[in-house]
Amino acid sequence: MSALVSNARVSWYAIVSGANDYWAIFTLKSWVFGWCVRMLSQVSFFALIGKLLESDKQTQFFLVGNAVMIAAMGATFAMNMTTSERGNGTLSLLLASPSRPVLVFASRGVYVMADGVFSALLGLFILGPAFGLHFPFPRILLVIPLTALVGMSAYCFSTFLAGVIIRKREVTGLLVNATIVILMTLCGINVPVSFYPGWLAWISRCLPITNGLEAIRDVIAGAPASTIAAHVGAELLVMSGWLALALVTFGAFVRAGQRDGSLEYAA
Amino acid sequence: MRAFLAGAQIQLRFLRAYPDAAIPFFTAPMFSVIFQMVFRHAGREDLTPYAAIAPVFIALWWLALFNSGWTITMERWNGTIEMLVAAPSSFAAVVFGRITTTTLLGVVSFFETWLVARAIFGTKITIYHPWAFYATVFVTLFAMAGTAVAMASLFVLARNAVTFSNSASYPFYVLGGILVPVSFLPHWIRPVSAVVFLSWSADLMRAALQAAPMHEFWFRLAMVAMLGAAGLLVGLYAMRVILTRVRGTGELGTT
Repeated sequence: MSALVSNARVSWYAIVSGANDYWAIFTLKSWVFGWCVRMLSQVSFFALIGKLLESDKQTQFFLVGNAVMIAAMGATFAMNMTTSERGNGTLSLLLASPSRPVLVFASRGVYVMADGVFSALLGLFILGPAFGLHFPFPRILLVIPLTALVGMSAYCFSTFLAGVIIRKREVTGLLVNATIVILMTLCGINVPVSFYPGWLAWISRCLPITNGLEAIRDVIAGAPASTIAAHVGAELLVMSGWLALALVTFGAFVRAGQRDGSLEYAA
Repeated sequence: MRAFLAGAQIQLRFLRAYPDAAIPFFTAPMFSVIFQMVFRHAGREDLTPYAAIAPVFIALWWLALFNSGWTITMERWNGTIEMLVAAPSSFAAVVFGRITTTTLLGVVSFFETWLVARAIFGTKITIYHPWAFYATVFVTLFAMAGTAVAMASLFVLARNAVTFSNSASYPFYVLGGILVPVSFLPHWIRPVSAVVFLSWSADLMRAALQAAPMHEFWFRLAMVAMLGAAGLLVGLYAMRVILTRVRGTGELGTT
């Protein structure tokens, strides 16, 4: 019980620390006129393809997919926060402390992920009506927890990747951007999963976003509850898998770095 | 000119040293895959030129934008910006040299994007108006570098240039009509698009990849050149004014 309380306290401090980092990057003004404008533009950029194709159905497909992608993008950005420990010279101190590093790293970017989920929903509910889409009320409210699920799932994936690259801080930017664009390509954001060849569809279903996004599309389309539940179950399974992988491997990556001395203060 | 070449030389070294410089060379082919998939799924192979051009603009814009943003930020982080400004060489020439070098490297994304389209989807990109296309590419690269200099001068004053860099991507992709032409945007926003050189440039490049005759080519090309030159002149002027000011107030390394 005391271990649980201790872990919760470490996790809470990591979340607060991450939030403080985040607000050092963004002020309210730069969030609204910088990030928010960029996010709305990103969703609009893809939704406009539907207009080019002269199809309301496609417009909705692109808009929903790319709005939800914002949540996953936020979760992926969290990778930057974990590896910034190295840049700040605090990694060695953190590793020398009795807390489990993965606990700190997994908590430190929660705020960015939450911001991504909030931004995704903002994008969906602002741009949906702007593009002439009608969301079924109150069923549409189910999209809120489902978007959070997608964000958390992508965050678990991101935490796993943060462990993989903890010894290679210099490639963080490349990996973050590569991950985002790969997820955009493979997770049924802009084309349905059925469009992919069989083997690629299988990979797609093992990635975060894919199943959760299908659940969101089903909610909007008014699909039966059993279909939605199946997709939610699949996303939960995928999320658990990536979380387990992160928990199992993170320590090993850190120990390997400690052994070969690659976890220096700043790469 | 010597300062420009020195800037170009140091930039090549930076690009080799920082893997982040390779980001657009990875993302451009992936965007090509996304756009090709979208148009293929919709049964609109006639829109292939759109899918072929947009990733290139994304790569070029990324390179110019992040290059300019990071140039100033890195100088600050390294504590070299004061020395660079105090040196007798032109600060603007060094920055322009660095930006031009990275922008020119962006041409690689043309080959990548089109190679991926060919290898994965069997899509063949045909340049129906080659001279118009090459002229547009040349003028676009100049305009891209000129606009980036304007951005760079703004970043001198920004406390966190990266935040602005991150935000100035998709808004310009939409305004510039790099994938979906400006004619699909709401009427009220089109005058803004008209002063973004990307909109003229993207239209020209798409037209050069289509068999139909190109209309008002020279006027549209001149618009790209003019807007790029305006960006460059504004950037150089703003940089001179800003540098004079921050040198006077001692805020160069802290603003």
